This record gives sequence, C-alpha cells and structure tokens, in this order.
Amino acid sequence: MKRFWKWTAGILGVLLVAAFIGLSVMAGSPKDAYGMVRYALPHMHRGTLKVGSDAPDARIVALDGVSRFHIRERTHERPLVLVFGSFT
Amino acid sequence: MQIYEDYKEHADFLTIYVREAHPTDEWQMKSNLKDKDDVCYAQPKTLEQRLVIANDFTKRFKFPLPFGIDDMSNAANDAYAAWPERLYIIDESGHIAYRGGMGPFNYNPAEVREWLAARYGAVKHEALKPSADAAPASTKSADSGAEAPKPSAPSTPASASAPAPLPASK
Repeated sequence: MKRFWKWTAGILGVLLVAAFIGLSVMAGSPKDAYGMVRYALPHMHRGTLKVGSDAPDARIVALDGVSRFHIRERTHERPLVLVFGSFT
Repeated sequence: MQIYEDYKEHADFLTIYVREAHPTDEWQMKSNLKDKDDVCYAQPKTLEQRLVIANDFTKRFKFPLPFGIDDMSNAANDAYAAWPERLYIIDESGHIAYRGGMGPFNYNPAEVREWLAARYGAVKHEALKPSADAAPASTKSADSGAEAPKPSAPSTPASASAPAPLPASK
C-alpha cells in the first residue's frame, strides 16, 4: 500500500511539473505561466451568452466620469458592435 | 479601427473599457514596459483611476470609437464575460447576433467585418493591415473558436437610421 501511494504521488508530481513546463512554453516564461494561473485564469470565463440571447444591459460611465448611459440605449436602430478591452 | 471607418454609416460601435489585463501589480507583460510601449498602470481600484487610464488610451491613440467605462462593479464585464477582450454584435431587436471568442487568442475582428460585410457589403482595401481593425488594446488576431457570424436580414434599412450619439462628454 505504501508503494502505491509513493507511485501515485510521484506520477502526480511529474504531471504537475509537465503541466507547468507546458504552460511556461505557452505563456513565454515560468513567470508568465505563474501570472496566467494567478491573475488571468480566475477572470476568464466563456460566459453563457449565445447567438440569439437577449443582450444584457449594464450601466456604463462616459469618459468624463460624470455621465452615465446604458448599453441597451444604443441597440434600437442599428446593429451595435461592442468592443471590450483594456489598455494593457 | 478600420472596421469602424468602413461601417460606421451602417452600424453603431461602442468600446467598453474593462479591468486591466496586464497591470504592473499583476501579470505585467514585457511589451508594456516603459522602454517599449510604456503602458504601465497598476490595476485600478477606483473609478477615477479607470478614467485616467481610459482617457490616456483614447488621447494617446486618438481613438475614434464611442467609448465607455465599466464601473467598479464590473457589471458589463460580468454580463458579457468580456475580460480580457471580446467582441459582440447586438442586432436591432436587442439580441446577440455575433459572439466573439475569448481574447486574446480568439479575439477576431475579421469575424465582425465578415458579419458586417454580409449585411452591408464588403469594403475592400488595397493593403488592409490586420492590426488596423477594431481593437482597444494590444490584441492578437488568431484562429478562432468563436461562433461563425450569422447575419440576419436587417429589420430597418440602414440608410433610414440615424447614427447613435457618442458617449456624453463635457
């Protein structure tokens, strides 16, 4: 039984190391792999919206920081292309 | 931005700034360092900090698209699973007409162009630069697992519709 757990732990360790190496190659470096796991993956979601779903509304702040508007205010007359992103 | 220039007479555009993808206090990218693109910001903790970054972005790039900022509740981000970058098209009836894949790997402005072209006709450019398309930040166009655009017939003639106002600013 002791031998079984030894092998299991060993295999899990090898898999973890392999996964981290693979992630490092994909992300560019071990530091980037850490960054991806620590900061990116928790915030990335596929979401539940599908083509045909009702478009959700949300209140948006204008660049002046004072005015507010809603996404759905802009969806009545023409298609609305939404571009989400940040600076960095 | 080229898509915007090509189709702004037919469709409305809205860029929504969401939480930073690679701030200095999280997963900063080398390409953002001061000796390169000089985009070094910590993750905003207040709306005022988001405003500073968003205004820097729009001014630095003379960004022409209508622009808004997700507030600190991240309501838009959560509703659209938008982070770090994503594209959608909402049709006139208020339904999702196109859902882009998750950025950066599946962020694909070419699919938006394809959707718009299917409705309003293709706009050809002699030397269209891929990086010139609608992108709020450093984005990569890559092979996409996103749903293929499926445009439907417009319910209102494009020529009869008025352009939407820009986000109010003083």
